[in-house]
Amino acid sequence: MRKVTTRAFAVLLLAALVVMGMGVYLFRLVRDGGDWASFYANDSVYTRGVLNRGSVTDRKGVVLAAAGEDAFHYADDATVRRACLHVVGDLDGNIGTSILSVFRPKFINYSFFTGTTTKGGSMQLTIDADISAAAYNALSGRKGTVLVYNYQTGEILCMVSTPGWDPEQGVNFDLNDPNYEGAFINRAISSVFTPGSVFKLVTMAAAIENIPDIFQQTFTCSGSAIIGGQKIVCSGHHGTLTVDEGLACSCNIVFGEVGRQLGGVRISQYAEKYGLTSAHTLNSEITTAAGSVPAAPGDGDAAWAGIGQYEDLINPYAFLRLMGAIANGGTAVEPTILAGKSGGSEKLMEPTTAQKLSEMMSFNVQYEYGSWAYPGLDMHAKTGTAEVGNGSTHAWFAGFITNKPLAFVVMAERAGGGYAVASPIANTVLQKAVSVLD
Amino acid sequence: MDIVTLVFGQAAPTLAAVSRYILPLTAVLIVLRCVRSMLREHYEPETWAYLYLTGDVMIPLRHWECILGRAKSVDAQIDDPAVERLHACLIRDVTGLWRVYNLGRGDTYVNGEQVLAGGAFIQDADVLTLGNVSARFVDLTEEERSSLLKYRHAPGRRVRPSVTLLLLTFFQLLLVLQQLVYNPDAGFGVAMAFGVVAAVQWAYFIVLRASGQTGFEPELLAFFLSSVGMSMAASKTPNDMIKYIILFLAAVGLYVFLCLWVRDLHRVKAVRLYAFVAAVGLLAATLVLATERNGARSWIEIGSFTIQPSEFVKVLYIYAGAATLDRLFVNRNLIFYIGFSAACVGLLALMGDFGTALVFFVTFLVISFMRSGNFATVFLAVAGAVLGVMLVVTVKPHVVARFQTWGHVWEDIYGNGYQQVRAMSAAASGGLFGQGSGNGWLVDIYAAETDMVFAVISEELGLITALCCVGSLLALAIFVVKNASAGRSSYFVIAAAATMSMMLVQVILNVYGTMDILPFTGVTFPFASVGGSSLIACWMLLAFVKGSDMRAHASFAVKRPEKFSGGIGVEEDDSADGYDQDYPQDYPQDGYDDGYDDENGYDGYYTQGGRS
Repeated sequence: MRKVTTRAFAVLLLAALVVMGMGVYLFRLVRDGGDWASFYANDSVYTRGVLNRGSVTDRKGVVLAAAGEDAFHYADDATVRRACLHVVGDLDGNIGTSILSVFRPKFINYSFFTGTTTKGGSMQLTIDADISAAAYNALSGRKGTVLVYNYQTGEILCMVSTPGWDPEQGVNFDLNDPNYEGAFINRAISSVFTPGSVFKLVTMAAAIENIPDIFQQTFTCSGSAIIGGQKIVCSGHHGTLTVDEGLACSCNIVFGEVGRQLGGVRISQYAEKYGLTSAHTLNSEITTAAGSVPAAPGDGDAAWAGIGQYEDLINPYAFLRLMGAIANGGTAVEPTILAGKSGGSEKLMEPTTAQKLSEMMSFNVQYEYGSWAYPGLDMHAKTGTAEVGNGSTHAWFAGFITNKPLAFVVMAERAGGGYAVASPIANTVLQKAVSVLD
Repeated sequence: MDIVTLVFGQAAPTLAAVSRYILPLTAVLIVLRCVRSMLREHYEPETWAYLYLTGDVMIPLRHWECILGRAKSVDAQIDDPAVERLHACLIRDVTGLWRVYNLGRGDTYVNGEQVLAGGAFIQDADVLTLGNVSARFVDLTEEERSSLLKYRHAPGRRVRPSVTLLLLTFFQLLLVLQQLVYNPDAGFGVAMAFGVVAAVQWAYFIVLRASGQTGFEPELLAFFLSSVGMSMAASKTPNDMIKYIILFLAAVGLYVFLCLWVRDLHRVKAVRLYAFVAAVGLLAATLVLATERNGARSWIEIGSFTIQPSEFVKVLYIYAGAATLDRLFVNRNLIFYIGFSAACVGLLALMGDFGTALVFFVTFLVISFMRSGNFATVFLAVAGAVLGVMLVVTVKPHVVARFQTWGHVWEDIYGNGYQQVRAMSAAASGGLFGQGSGNGWLVDIYAAETDMVFAVISEELGLITALCCVGSLLALAIFVVKNASAGRSSYFVIAAAATMSMMLVQVILNVYGTMDILPFTGVTFPFASVGGSSLIACWMLLAFVKGSDMRAHASFAVKRPEKFSGGIGVEEDDSADGYDQDYPQDYPQDGYDDGYDDENGYDGYYTQGGRS
């Protein structure tokens, strides 16, 4: 009898399995419950598969997307709809990093405790509809991205990616149409690009900290040079010049030589240190694509890596953080897209390095780009024209202004030169931003 | 809406909204009260007789079935090299007569007479000899037993069942309110259904309380789960409640019947063979008559009712599968049992009812683990493997498909993951407090009210209530294990453990199948799943749990110790026990012979027997 009664404990084994399973379920419910509740079949928050509650507005309260009793609508203004498409997303979840995809539980006001409620969520973003529309117009049909954020508060004011479509009309284009290449992707978040000359800021920072006589050195540019057996070509014949001047006129010979002096490993280390090779999370949920700056093995490759070519690939969002850090004395305030949230900050470089880079970026404008190109803006920037084969180039313009604490990255894909194409876009967007913020 | 406005006026929607938060708290209180009452109380086991060894060593016999021997695991250990490890067993029957059986290779004697294969009677003051060790057997007199009884605590003193019952009634009231407000089709039928549940539970309580019973926790938990089930039915088919009322009444009625039936172990044993036959017969009949649904032929349609015979076979299976200790030592019985199990699982396999086959298989493992007294567990393992192979044979295409989807339901939301993703979505949507009874959408998904009922509960009544449902069954399982040590007969211990194993396996398959932690097999959740056959089977199985409740005066499925032996010394207690009318003075007079295969002049003993 005792044996039988002892063996009744077999029941407890099953009870333990019940408890364990419940633990697994509760863990998953806490982790994924929001996604489950956001499923389109959840008739508590969907009407025939269309969200029936929740809204997203920009920083001033302009509606970017809102669910009504009968229908789901996006922003009233068609340009704003297109400009904010990749930030807001669409109901079908075509854009994986968008608010409507990632923060749908918040949008429907889901919580583990209350589940879904009769009232949807009302989300406010840091995005500015007007600045975004200006950026969208400034890109004028080019593929690319414009990012603007407040480097003191982290608020992202503008994150536009093209090409896109009007979410009010839905996806009515052929996915294989080259004009819509990557339309479902937010280029600012999910893409990496060859940086070209904007990467010279990273090389420069490494040089400031590692080559003691960098500012005493002089370089000679005669249009091309052989470094480590490879021919480095420059866009001009710059003659004899200092590294400041080299940065301003984006001389490949100067930075090829600086790259050689630093070596591929150090360049790669600095890219890593500045967060250019890691994935970042925006508001804890939106994950960015990680860039890559592999350590170039020889002098020739190191020279190319130093001028942002070789195998360097950069994510625009990560580069925006770096611009923010330079503007902010070396510390990057983590960007946020949700109003009222802050994501902390990370020290990327020494304040003295940041200060020096800042001065040099200002010098770029004074010496080379012309401050007349940015009327009223206290511009600090660097151009980039990244060669991506077949003679086409990505146009970059990245930096910050100090009139308002705004850092920016403009990238137009296969669109030409950084100064010719990206710089005017940046000017247009920032003029708008300054006027909007006043 | 008419009724709601009539009863609650304009405040109805507000009341319903508020009640959504009160309901789970009520559920927690109900379950906690039952759990406290069942599990906190420590109670002494009953003592039935003593063995006096030389040197005044006294061994109490605390069960009706006791093994004597040298091994540590026996009930009465006699540490002498002349005694076999498992030497003999002493078994008491309902009338108070003790028999001794020889188990091992050693010899056993009663008053110097050798005990042969059929066993021998032993009574007070007899000398029992194992090998060369002698002991005096001392049966307890009624006086001694009643004085011992005083030391046993009566249950339910600290946690009053009447208060729990009030809470449960309040819980049902809230469900009615929510149904009437949230469920546009709910009307008088729904209110009546909950009214019937409440009326039955109060009637049950009042009658048993009046007859001196004090333990009500297992039933209260079953009533609680049935109320949740009724809420599910109301959400699913609010206009068809009369059917569920009838089924509920039938379930409780059959439960009471079975409880009374198992009071008498002798009677239970006498019809076990019929249970074997009925189980196999029912399954075979199903295979022939059933209509196919979802690839499984497990439903028989009779008029507007559909019956799932395999649910009733669960009761028969445990009824027939549990065994008394004397049977455990006969290999033939175990082989027969394994054959029986193989037949059941095999027939379920042929029906394509994979989930139920799995439930039976696990129950088989538990029962055979508990039954395997002292021999070839290896043999059992082999038998288990054979049954396992049969399970594999069960695996039909639709089952394979479910296994393939397992863990990837979100990648197959239009196909085999269709039900689960909706279940998870709705469950999450319910939050801790639920959307309100009748305010969910999941119940409209195919088979949600049965196979995914945990998710429907989570959606409509909230995670807290859903966890209370699982907690109720866990509490019953722990209760059964706790009771085991005081069990009179291994029959009840095995039956109760097998019952709770069965229910827990169902919980595991139902809940975790729904939530994609296990493959989705379509098994019901005990009591709460909508479905007549399942509900009736669960209530009947509950009788085995009641049968294991050894707290004093706790269970009407357990005959009181003072009521044995022809009614001597029990007169004063009779007034308190309403069941005497049904079972007048019990066993002695009515045809005791039938089925009792006994060559040793049982009748002779009997007529002399009884203590006076």
